[in-house]
Amino acid sequence: MSSVSKELSDLPPKYSKGFLYEMKKNIILYLMCVPALLILILFSYIPFSGIWMAFTDFNVIDGIFGSKFVGLDNFKYFFAKNSMGWQVTYNTLFINFFSIILGIIVPVSIAIFINEIRNKTYKKISQSMMFFPYFISWVVVGAIIYGIFSTDVGVANNILGYFGVEPIRWYSEPKYWKTIIIFASVWKWSGYSSILYMAAMSNFDNSLYESAKVDGANKLQQIYYLTIPMLKPTIIVLTLLNVGRIFYGDFGMIYGIVGNNPVLIDEVTVIDIYVYQSMRTLGFSYSTAIGLFQSLMGLILITFANKTAKKINDGEGLF
Amino acid sequence: MGINRALGDKLVVIIAYCFIGCFALVCLYPLWLTVSVSFSSEQAIARNGYSFLPQSPSLDTYKYIFVNSGMRILKSYGITIFVTVVGTTSALLITSMMAFALSLKKLKYRNFIAFISNFTIIFSSGLIPWYIVSVNYYGLKNSIWALILPAVFSVWNMFLMRTYFSSISPSLYEAAEIDGANYFRIYLKIALPLSKTALLTVGLMYALSYWNDWWHALIFINDKDLFPLQYYLYNILSNVNAISSGRIPSGASGSITLPAETVKMAITVITIGPIIFLYPFVQKYFVQGIMAGAVKE
Repeated sequence: MSSVSKELSDLPPKYSKGFLYEMKKNIILYLMCVPALLILILFSYIPFSGIWMAFTDFNVIDGIFGSKFVGLDNFKYFFAKNSMGWQVTYNTLFINFFSIILGIIVPVSIAIFINEIRNKTYKKISQSMMFFPYFISWVVVGAIIYGIFSTDVGVANNILGYFGVEPIRWYSEPKYWKTIIIFASVWKWSGYSSILYMAAMSNFDNSLYESAKVDGANKLQQIYYLTIPMLKPTIIVLTLLNVGRIFYGDFGMIYGIVGNNPVLIDEVTVIDIYVYQSMRTLGFSYSTAIGLFQSLMGLILITFANKTAKKINDGEGLF
Repeated sequence: MGINRALGDKLVVIIAYCFIGCFALVCLYPLWLTVSVSFSSEQAIARNGYSFLPQSPSLDTYKYIFVNSGMRILKSYGITIFVTVVGTTSALLITSMMAFALSLKKLKYRNFIAFISNFTIIFSSGLIPWYIVSVNYYGLKNSIWALILPAVFSVWNMFLMRTYFSSISPSLYEAAEIDGANYFRIYLKIALPLSKTALLTVGLMYALSYWNDWWHALIFINDKDLFPLQYYLYNILSNVNAISSGRIPSGASGSITLPAETVKMAITVITIGPIIFLYPFVQKYFVQGIMAGAVKE
């Protein structure tokens, strides 16, 4: 090691600041990055070349770059009047929009209320219970939802029967499923997100609350005038992160819950699922084009969200 | 005034207890339901529907599963365990090595490497090019590596680990460097032992995502012998799901035998079993990980 650095120090100064010098000096550290970089190159960067397919009429024989160039035809087809394009975009935005809204209200309420609980055991146990859904897969959530909504044995129809309401055939009624999916998402993520808000709250200055109490503010006023305003930056950052991903549907969630039920799937098909389905039926080029549309919208929104976050948080972006 | 205020404050506390208690029950109830049904007798479920307490409790369902599809489930368990163990170990190694390197200020191109990593989060080529490259060039169709490699490096987890490594004072490294240790040795002998909690936290996050993954199997695996546990469960459920829509031609549904209610729930319990047992012990590391990730450096 020392002999190498001595050798290097003999080199002219211009060379010693260059790329090769740095490589020689820290070669071990750069080598340690290689496996991770290799994974990124294999699974993120090399696939970029396949984006070209979105502008061609891909067939396997001519390959990615040999197939006929068709310009923006694939995109035009996606947004043609009777295609699924508008429908799946609407589904994605609808489900994500309400998941984001409820995904703020519920976890923030949890964080605020749990802060009021003084009994340590109660706090600990309920916190563990709320965090549990984060640990199970969407397939298991799908099994649970089946247990609740199955026509003959499900809990929902049992309860309805209690009140004398006719059983509902949930699994052949598409209209309920956007709501069910939104609630499933809130159910699974609320415990997790509330931890983020609790982390923020643990940094709050306690003396503010003390002086508020001296001034005669009751608990509700403390929550309204102190806690919520101080949580605002966290809420904004998390919301912006989600808004940046609003064009991405949760494939696992929807496929795990609805599976390949042919009656329900159209109602809740998000862009990701449409890409997967059209890969088999409408060809690689078309589905690549939809994927690219999604990525571009995502890129635009996340850049915008990052700029907004920087403006609000004095120069600190989302990542 | 004073009495009113005390009363109002009490009300807030009462509401807090109720809200938290109710939501906690809502989170755990479905799981309890699943376990309870799996220990019930099939006839009782068919008669009364799902219920909070096991009806005529018995182990019959589990015996039935063990006799009828025991081998299949064991095989899937084997696949899931292999994928989780190999995946988590390699993921931890790959992730921590890069995180360590990027935590050192002396590394000149660290910002460039961080940017290369970050960019993959912001922009991706989408499912299809990724799929074609993986299948045509890397031969991942029906290969067990398809369940491991694509998920073996998470940029989020890498930055999480980097935050931990950054908190170690570089003077510790410098001392070792003077003693002639190279940076791989320093990583092994100093950095890793000092970040055991971080390793545990990130390792558990990787392990959970490998255990719960079925999406990669859906995309890449047709071979029944390579089905991980979650995907095995998915297949059972999605058949049931499709049939209960009432849209499948009756001839077709006749050929598929519907697994009984108790069987479905028992397989679900088998799938999440290890998570239920480990949950009380590992929960706090996840909380730590999430909190550390939430605090920006």
